[in-house]
Amino acid sequence: MNHPLSDLTAYLNGALDPERRAEVERHLEGCAPCRTERERLAWASSAIDALPAPPPPSPQFEARFYARLAAIEQPAPRGWLASIRWRYLAPLGAAAAFTAVFVVLWASHGRRQAEMAAQLELLENYELVASVGSVDGPEDVAVVAHLDELREGRP
Amino acid sequence: MAPDPDAALMVAFQGGDASAFRTLFEKYAPAMVSFCHRFVRDHARAEELAQDVFLKLHAAARRYEPSARFKTYLYRIAANHCLNEVRRGKHQPVREQPHPDAPGAADPDAHAGSLPTPEEVSQGAALGRAVEVFLERLPANQRAALVLCRFEGLSYEEIAAVLDTSVSAVKSLIHRATVAATAALAPFSPAEGKQALR
Repeated sequence: MNHPLSDLTAYLNGALDPERRAEVERHLEGCAPCRTERERLAWASSAIDALPAPPPPSPQFEARFYARLAAIEQPAPRGWLASIRWRYLAPLGAAAAFTAVFVVLWASHGRRQAEMAAQLELLENYELVASVGSVDGPEDVAVVAHLDELREGRP
Repeated sequence: MAPDPDAALMVAFQGGDASAFRTLFEKYAPAMVSFCHRFVRDHARAEELAQDVFLKLHAAARRYEPSARFKTYLYRIAANHCLNEVRRGKHQPVREQPHPDAPGAADPDAHAGSLPTPEEVSQGAALGRAVEVFLERLPANQRAALVLCRFEGLSYEEIAAVLDTSVSAVKSLIHRATVAATAALAPFSPAEGKQALR
């Protein structure tokens, strides 16, 4: 005989389907140990049910809840630094920094190009004067350095 | 599924009707405080937990879908919150003082010993205390299932939805909890108490 012990609590709680409930009832009619177990489970359940209900919510319960809700919905004012929307500002800042670096590098490159052009021009002057074999002293070097000005007819 | 007026209120709240949320709050606040109290047995903490449940409900409104009964949805939030509270061990249950008019409240020894005296048994206060201690010691999932069944009146199907488990698992949880109650409360049973207390 299979005792339906594991179904007895569900039987008492009205949680068995009609077919299973009928089977358990038929078994209980002929099984004294199962009837005893059913009574023990029924008594324990009624003892639990008899536990006094907890006190109702206090009069301040609702007001406290809505105060907590308001605190969540309206957070405290933030400082100016915290109020900056970094999510939008960060990419702009990065772009500005990139542009600044690019401008500095470009200007530096232009300056180096101009210096190199001046050096080349000076070298050409030296080559020109050296080709006629007339660079002998410091005075000649000064003339070579200012050969362009002389070419353009400046004093 | 029959029309659920509470689910309709929740949908109305989704649409911006703040009074719908207030109606739900007023309707379910006592049940939520009572449910949370069964887990922590400290009324102030139970009220905080119940408020947490409504704050979660408020925050989850945008994601709410009326696919199940609102009551089941709310108890699922509450059960998860209370089970987390118990599992984290954040709360140590306190022995609340009974109401001055409650039976046995004037007895200074009523809360002192581990086993009640026969006089307490006759008053019934000790049985209530034993039930509270029994519930406190139950595994958390058995306690949740038993509380939802015995105190909140949910069906096995509703409890399964709340605890996100099967009906057969709920049947097993409640049966094991009830069998444990027969053992824990045996000293108070009319059939066995005489022997146990002798």
